[in-house]
Amino acid sequence: MAKKVVEIENLVKRYKELIALDHLNLTVEEGEVFGLLGPNGSGKTTAINCILALLYFDKGSVKVFGEEMQPDSYGIKRQVGVVLQNVAVFGELTVQENIDYFCGLYIPDKKTRKQYVEEAIVFSGLEDFRKFYPKKLSGGLLRRLNIACGIAHKPKLIIMDEPTVAVDPQSRNRILEGIQKLNREGATIIYTSHYMEEVEQICSRIAILDKGRCVASGTKEELKSMIKMGEKIHMEAAGLTPCQIAEIKELRHVYQVDYQDGMLEIRCSGGKHNLVHILDYFGSREIGFGRVYSELPTLNDVFLEITGKELRDNAE
Amino acid sequence: MQVFKAFFRIVNKNKMPLFMYIVIYLALTLIIGSVMEENSQAEFSGVSLDIGLENQDQGSLGRGLEEYLGTQNQISSVPEEKEDLQDAMYYGELDYVLVIPEDFTEKFQAGEQEGILDGRAVPGSSSAYLAEQEITGYLRSLSMYLKAGCSAKEAASWALADMGRKAEVEFLEEGEGQGMPRGFYYFQYIPYVFLILMILGVGGCMNTFKEKDLAARNKCSSMSFLSQNLQIFLGCAAYMLAVYGIFMGMACLSVRDYMFSLQGAFNAANAFLFGICSLSVAWFTVQFAQNSQMLTVMSNVFGLGFSFLGGVFVSLDLMGEGARKMAKFVPSYWYVAANEEIQKLETFADGGKVFQSFGMVLVFSLAFFSAGLLVGRMKVKER
Repeated sequence: MAKKVVEIENLVKRYKELIALDHLNLTVEEGEVFGLLGPNGSGKTTAINCILALLYFDKGSVKVFGEEMQPDSYGIKRQVGVVLQNVAVFGELTVQENIDYFCGLYIPDKKTRKQYVEEAIVFSGLEDFRKFYPKKLSGGLLRRLNIACGIAHKPKLIIMDEPTVAVDPQSRNRILEGIQKLNREGATIIYTSHYMEEVEQICSRIAILDKGRCVASGTKEELKSMIKMGEKIHMEAAGLTPCQIAEIKELRHVYQVDYQDGMLEIRCSGGKHNLVHILDYFGSREIGFGRVYSELPTLNDVFLEITGKELRDNAE
Repeated sequence: MQVFKAFFRIVNKNKMPLFMYIVIYLALTLIIGSVMEENSQAEFSGVSLDIGLENQDQGSLGRGLEEYLGTQNQISSVPEEKEDLQDAMYYGELDYVLVIPEDFTEKFQAGEQEGILDGRAVPGSSSAYLAEQEITGYLRSLSMYLKAGCSAKEAASWALADMGRKAEVEFLEEGEGQGMPRGFYYFQYIPYVFLILMILGVGGCMNTFKEKDLAARNKCSSMSFLSQNLQIFLGCAAYMLAVYGIFMGMACLSVRDYMFSLQGAFNAANAFLFGICSLSVAWFTVQFAQNSQMLTVMSNVFGLGFSFLGGVFVSLDLMGEGARKMAKFVPSYWYVAANEEIQKLETFADGGKVFQSFGMVLVFSLAFFSAGLLVGRMKVKER
């Protein structure tokens, strides 16, 4: 059985009248890339801040590496790397000086630190920018510097709070690949994002947060199996009658049909040949159609079905 | 010592404006010191003008005026040629030219005064103004005696006697800042520059560390909060010592003899204590300043405010009683008071008042530090 790296039990955090975390329960196991998914304001950052003892909470407990996390738990903090949502680097220090500074907060030995700093620079692809000041860096490079500062001391647990916000696709891919590499090298990672594609791509287990509560958790396959939808088929078909739409709804595995502006969206609960059945129906009724494509359910569909709203509603 | 090193890297990055303050300050104080020292041997002498005079009047009033002007000015005849007259005035050989017309005595006795004399001068000349002042004063006196019923001869005689009186000019020996050595002026303006340098230097660094995301990131680290704060404190102290060292070093170069005297030693101690006080003021102000613009405003408010109120720029002697009372509530007042008392010291044992001022500066340091601590704690609680 894998070791528990983070255990959150019944965590409650209030900001005056607002309940930011409502009896949150989470467990992160060693070697995982654990995704915290939820729209803005769902409590992801508050949860992270409670794990890091940056915030006092009203109720519950947070254990990291089996020990209660406190503001002065410096032994635990030594093993934790942090990449905060906002870039937290010194504008007055160069790239190399910034990484050296943050690494030095954990690693007092100069020689070891020098080696770690160099490795972090190479890891984040900042070799050509080591003498640059942060204000000279692009948004993507700045994010990479933020990550380099968080991981330079080789922590066992890395907490990343939306590290790819406002980053170009190239830098985003590089960051995601880097996270997977860190995980392969043995680090446990907690990754928060409201970008479901990122979470699907890199996370081995995911918890979906809404209004401070964990509404679902598991692997992405487990999460998708929790919902009714197994497949979503889109068809261009002009002039369908209400009678025809009702007939489509009666086809095997079909449980929801939406028709708007000549675009048909059919949701099927499972089965392997849904598209064939639908095409057979159109053929038998000699109804013309244009483009056809099929989609498997996404985490957004999971979130939509569980909470009744879209993940992207509040996303950037 | 990561935090300590980062502190000085930040100072180093922001060094240019600080360096400019130091250079400008040193240059200005050295200039002011040398100018004031040269002028410290103050003296007063009357002014004698070169007046060209042509007296066409045969009466006693015309003669009296000629005699009066001759008592304190150089009188010469007016060149006959117009060009020669213009040259004499142009080249400054004559400050003023006066023609007393032949009917001057008659007209003046008849009560006529406007335009009865023909005076000429270089336009805007201060010498001409002085000459006219002398003539007007004499005529006023003359007029008074004539109205009192004196004869023209008597009036001329009395007026001459009146105008001949000299005012005694004496210098105040007790005035502060009079005849002080250059070292005094070197140290006099230190409160202003120390306050500015501490608020901008220390405040700038502390603001960076206080920045919300950086502060959170530092709190996540395995270096204890106490250790981080201790290193910031050490950074502040080292910065203060570095600034103090620069100023004392420059003092040793520019006012060497003064620095190795009793006054120099006391002034060095006074400046050191004010350095500590400036550090406390910087710590206090940084609790309010959210960014560098606000910090600049704060540095000007405290630097200029304390300096003007405390008598750094304007001597305490020239301040009203009310202003002097208010000044006692700013630390720079006690610095300036100590600086002035130091000049009167002959032995170490005479330093009672100086030590009292030192104590007051330390009390202010403690007060600002405590107030800063209180404000900081209140802000943390708010968050």
